[in-house]
Amino acid sequence: MEPIVTVQNLHKRFGNLEVLKGVNLRVAPREVVCLIGRSGSGKSTLLRCINFLEEPNEGVISVAGITVPAGERTREHRQHIIELRERAGMVFQSFNLFPHKTVLENLIEAPMIVKGMSREQAIPIAEKLLEKVGLASKRDVYPSKLSGGQQQRVAIARALTMEPQVMLFDEPTSALDPELIGEVLEVMRDLARDGMTMLVVTHEMGFAREVADRVIFMDGGVFVEEGPPAQCLVNPQDERTRRFLERIL
Amino acid sequence: MADKAVELQPSMVRRRLSIPFPVQLVLWWCLWLLFLLFLFSGIGFSLGFIRIRTIALDWGFIATWWLFISKGVIVTFELSVISIISAMVLALAAALARLSRFAPFNSLASLYVSLMRGTPLYLQIIFIYQALPQLGLVLTAFTSAVLALSLNYGAYMSEIFRAGIQAVGRGQTEAAYALGMTPWQTMRRIVLPQAFRIITPDIGNQFIAMQKDTSLASAITLLELMGLARQAGAPRQHFFEALVVAAVWYWLMTIVLSYFQRKLEHRMARSDR
Repeated sequence: MEPIVTVQNLHKRFGNLEVLKGVNLRVAPREVVCLIGRSGSGKSTLLRCINFLEEPNEGVISVAGITVPAGERTREHRQHIIELRERAGMVFQSFNLFPHKTVLENLIEAPMIVKGMSREQAIPIAEKLLEKVGLASKRDVYPSKLSGGQQQRVAIARALTMEPQVMLFDEPTSALDPELIGEVLEVMRDLARDGMTMLVVTHEMGFAREVADRVIFMDGGVFVEEGPPAQCLVNPQDERTRRFLERIL
Repeated sequence: MADKAVELQPSMVRRRLSIPFPVQLVLWWCLWLLFLLFLFSGIGFSLGFIRIRTIALDWGFIATWWLFISKGVIVTFELSVISIISAMVLALAAALARLSRFAPFNSLASLYVSLMRGTPLYLQIIFIYQALPQLGLVLTAFTSAVLALSLNYGAYMSEIFRAGIQAVGRGQTEAAYALGMTPWQTMRRIVLPQAFRIITPDIGNQFIAMQKDTSLASAITLLELMGLARQAGAPRQHFFEALVVAAVWYWLMTIVLSYFQRKLEHRMARSDR
């Protein structure tokens, strides 16, 4: 099947430090891929390069038919990046809800400003998504009044308002108290079940084992090992994967 | 048991007499105010060998001229409101330029800020009113004062705006970008509203400071509060009374502004994290 996300020969340097050393990735539609690895292994940077929150130094990114090569500076290039971002929703470790807007306003902002929808068009979509994440009753509340888990669920709903074809999750549960992790994973599990293509950077091995179609172990800016969770998490071939799993499990 | 009750009594009496600190502050404020009024009462008396005389104001002069001076309040208020609004526009433009990666704008803004902060406001006011006519540019006293005050305060406030914009977390920008918003949409819809909230107290302080700096405009014949006070006081050698009337007005205006500033801050704090 034609992949929905392709990453070709991706290089990213911060100063002299090469964080990504020629990464290649193909994600099929409806596939759920979990990226695991030590901090500093480049997994978050890879995710952030896919929607150009970090500008790659080399390589080509393609998401749902929009192909953007690295390192250009033209107006056209910037326009392509914006189109690519509309197709790739992102969820951050620190939620990043807009604190000066209510939950509903957080959700209708991008559809109105980016897609040019009217308020009347945007509200029903937002309400449906709030229902989906179980927070319909919080529509007029400010984010500061919500728990971390609720904020992250709103953030997921906010990303979904743009009807993305891929969802990128950057350690979505790492900033949460242990008792709040479950509700966020539950929403992500539902999303996967509905057929959303997902790329998830996570330390939640239970989630990876249960939901992922493929697990990729990263170390030193390259893919060390990848495969179905049953293989990659249970019976890893590479020594570095084995050591990492021993420490985390 | 009876013994114990007797023992407890003194401390209970002391507690009943203790006044909460905020109330103490208000009482003392009133007391010092009364003392200030007394200083200006003109009452004289002797304590043993020492003769004490307080400041005697010419109340007849004040009764005749206070209305004349007070009309300046309107000009002062107009001057400061128009100037603070145009200063904010300038400050925002300069702050955005200072944050941009476009060298011509960035450097122009820092030159402007440096120049305006490096010369006295008094000089700027007189320069615009009295030096520019040499180049054929003649402005009214009011326009000159507005121009000088906005340029000067715009420079100072651009630093406040810049700090406010930088205080909005990087994550906010990233979240907006990830949703497909352009840098300008992100600035307008996400960053600036939050930055304004952060800097509201500072803008309030600048407004209060400007309220008083408008008095410098009296140097270019503008008849605002200060100018009228001098006009009333000079020919009759009654500067003391005239300036006290003006001072009271400036003080009252400042108190009123501070009150609104606090209310505004309170309202803006509602949705804070």
